[in-house]
Amino acid sequence: MKKLLILTIVLLAGFATHPLYAQKKGNKVVCFKSNMDCSDCEKTLSEYLKFEKGVKDLKVDHVSNTIMVEYKEGKSSDENMAKAVEKKGYKAEKISQEEYKKIVAHAKEAGHDHDHEQHQEREHK
Amino acid sequence: MKQYLLFILMILPGLSFADEIKGIVYAKEGNGKQPLPGVNIYWEGSTQGTTSVADGSFSIGQKNNQHMLVFSFVGYEKQVVHVHEMGALEVVLEPNLEIEEVKVVKKNRGTYLSTINPIQVENISSAELHKAACCNLAESFETNPSVDLSYSDAITGAKQIKLLGLDGTYSLMQIENMPNLRGLATASGLTYIPGPWMESIQVSKGAASVVNGYDAIAGQINAELKKPDSDEKLFLNLYGNIDGRLEYNGNGNIRLKGDTLTTGIFVHGHDLSKRNDHNHDGFLDEPLSKMFQVANRWKYNNQNGFMAQAYVNFLTEERLGGQKEVDWNMQPSVNNPFGVNIKNDRIDAFLKSGYTFNNGKSAIAWLSNFSRHETESYYGLTPYNADETRFYANAVLTHDLDAYARHILNTGASFVYDDFNEAIYDQNIERTEKVPGLFAEYTFKPNPNLTLMAGLRTDFHNLFGTFVTPRMHFRYHFADHFTIRTSAGKGYRTANVLSENVYLLSSSRPLQWTDDVMQEEAWNYGFAFIQNYTLLGRELTLNAEFFRTSFDSQLIVDRETSPDYVMLTPLQGTSFANSLQFDVRWQPIERLDLLLAYRINNIKQTIGGELVDKPLTNDYKGLINLNYTTNLKKWMFDYTVQFNGGGRIPEYPGEVSAGGLAFDPYVVMNAQVTKYFRYWSVYFGSENLGDFKQSHPIQGADNPFGPNFDATKVWGPVMGRKVYLGLRFNLNYE
Repeated sequence: MKKLLILTIVLLAGFATHPLYAQKKGNKVVCFKSNMDCSDCEKTLSEYLKFEKGVKDLKVDHVSNTIMVEYKEGKSSDENMAKAVEKKGYKAEKISQEEYKKIVAHAKEAGHDHDHEQHQEREHK
Repeated sequence: MKQYLLFILMILPGLSFADEIKGIVYAKEGNGKQPLPGVNIYWEGSTQGTTSVADGSFSIGQKNNQHMLVFSFVGYEKQVVHVHEMGALEVVLEPNLEIEEVKVVKKNRGTYLSTINPIQVENISSAELHKAACCNLAESFETNPSVDLSYSDAITGAKQIKLLGLDGTYSLMQIENMPNLRGLATASGLTYIPGPWMESIQVSKGAASVVNGYDAIAGQINAELKKPDSDEKLFLNLYGNIDGRLEYNGNGNIRLKGDTLTTGIFVHGHDLSKRNDHNHDGFLDEPLSKMFQVANRWKYNNQNGFMAQAYVNFLTEERLGGQKEVDWNMQPSVNNPFGVNIKNDRIDAFLKSGYTFNNGKSAIAWLSNFSRHETESYYGLTPYNADETRFYANAVLTHDLDAYARHILNTGASFVYDDFNEAIYDQNIERTEKVPGLFAEYTFKPNPNLTLMAGLRTDFHNLFGTFVTPRMHFRYHFADHFTIRTSAGKGYRTANVLSENVYLLSSSRPLQWTDDVMQEEAWNYGFAFIQNYTLLGRELTLNAEFFRTSFDSQLIVDRETSPDYVMLTPLQGTSFANSLQFDVRWQPIERLDLLLAYRINNIKQTIGGELVDKPLTNDYKGLINLNYTTNLKKWMFDYTVQFNGGGRIPEYPGEVSAGGLAFDPYVVMNAQVTKYFRYWSVYFGSENLGDFKQSHPIQGADNPFGPNFDATKVWGPVMGRKVYLGLRFNLNYE
């Protein structure tokens, strides 16, 4: 029993070195500035966009009002993504990745790291 | 019923004012929010504070060393916000009108341990409920380390749970924080709550708050149903398994007047018409069954402190088990096949409301429910017919004794009415319980790290006289990674001697009982040590806990003394249950949740003058649960393996037994894959993947009306591998 547990832990720890967040080849990234004003909008939009054709990764943030979508090239287009955002009633103003990074970094710099879960953890400790 | 503690923090960038923090406090109401006046706002560890005004706004001066701003308001969860140098704050408080049983919701996390509640609570969220096939409340514990699920016998298909190794009857079963599923519903009540109707489940171990009653001995299990003001517009579920069970669930919410008046409709139906006998003992592995349920729920929230909810549910179900050739219309007779037929009709209703007074320091809650249950059944040749009418009401006043919610007092009164009529062996048994009670509970919370809760209640029972229930809880987060909890308390319970043990009629020996009703009495002591670390960037939780329950009075099921009877007698001597559990929760890689748990049970009872292991109880349980979701959660994979320890099999002197005196450890595995689409999800899985079955669950199966027949010596799975496929459809309000 004990040995089995240890074995499981060791095996799982082995997987932990798996590279994360790496942008894969053949994927395209598009970024938008938007006009969400609440965390519920963020959730709605995020749940909708993730099932758009070809979507591989997604970051929707209502604090910096930005959207980042990574999708498989050839499966969809920047225009389709913009349309999907607009369909849910939000603006989708295309911006470059550099601009996106800048806006997000600025929102964080202002000391308003808007990660719900991190806040939650902090308060529980 | 609002009992969230989801810290939705919205810190909006804005203009900065040197040394002054401004902001607005809102109350979360349904899906929206309302400005909340009168909220106490103060710097943690200081007495410097202010209150929010009519439009919810506030301003407070900030000194260099002040960072943690506390927001507290009676009827709402207290919130602590880390304030940075600049910006206006927007804080949303979550209502907590019905006190206690705090739930901590966190995205995508199945089950977790709260470290803020003074009571050891495991929360099973809707994410966890998606992990298992989860046809009903009973089956939602398959991935849970603390609750064991087993068959009570090999014929009726009734499943019972165990908490701390003790039978489910020692845990207070609640629906929406009100006692339910007791009395006549004890045997199969856990199958009365369809999985898709539930929003979450809270399992608290050890003595529970006195506010909820004197019953919880081993702990308390509360199921929260879906709320009519939630985002869900329509939910449909279809399920089918290889043994021929078909199930339909549906619910929809209608917003009649925005978030103010909402209603929800729930439907459940299932059918199992296929006769399965995989082990070829001539008996159905599970009974033929059909059930239909419909419920309607209402919620009124004036968005200004008053809330009322009403619910009504109709249930009808019928089961037919026994030999393969049984027929729905047959008469119980030795010339017919051996059959067990159970027919239940039940109506359930609740009404509850809460009001927060304008000063923000007091809140009042009213909780009441009603049920009427009728059972018609026969087990072999023995008919058992019964009905029960039950009413429960509880009024609770919560009051903050000081401005900073450091001292909170809950006081109130409750009333239980329970009328029972049973007919068995040509005897009619009638009784009525009437129990008014008074309670008070004081909570001391000098800072977020320490909680002390002491409660006392007195109940005036018409059959058992006046008795006092003291309970105490203590939580201390004493260092960065460490939290301890202790609890001690007394518990009482009315043992409904026959209705709770009616499954024992699936045996050739008739029941013999000393009293048809008796009061059980026990002390419970608990200690838990929780550690939280960050390992490889992800949270690691280690929990160690020990609980001891020691009985002063108990109903003992004695199947070992007499060859002629199964005896239901009061305990004479010692009876205790020790439970030692360790569990580890971690994400070894991104999006892979790992749970390892191990529990040792030591449960002993004095049976026939001898202190022995409680029969048919596993002496340990190990559990490994793995849950992996792909990025963006389009796929989900679940795998659970349970290592169940061995135990003792009861035997009377001279019994010709098939299984021996002990059973060996065994392993049960479950696995499931879920694929999510925008509005759909499909799940496919298997219960008992390894196809492990108890080899002879029915003793004397070849001669069911003979003297050696016994279908109640069940310790392991009766059903083998069960492959299933399900479909969910989900439409939300936006």
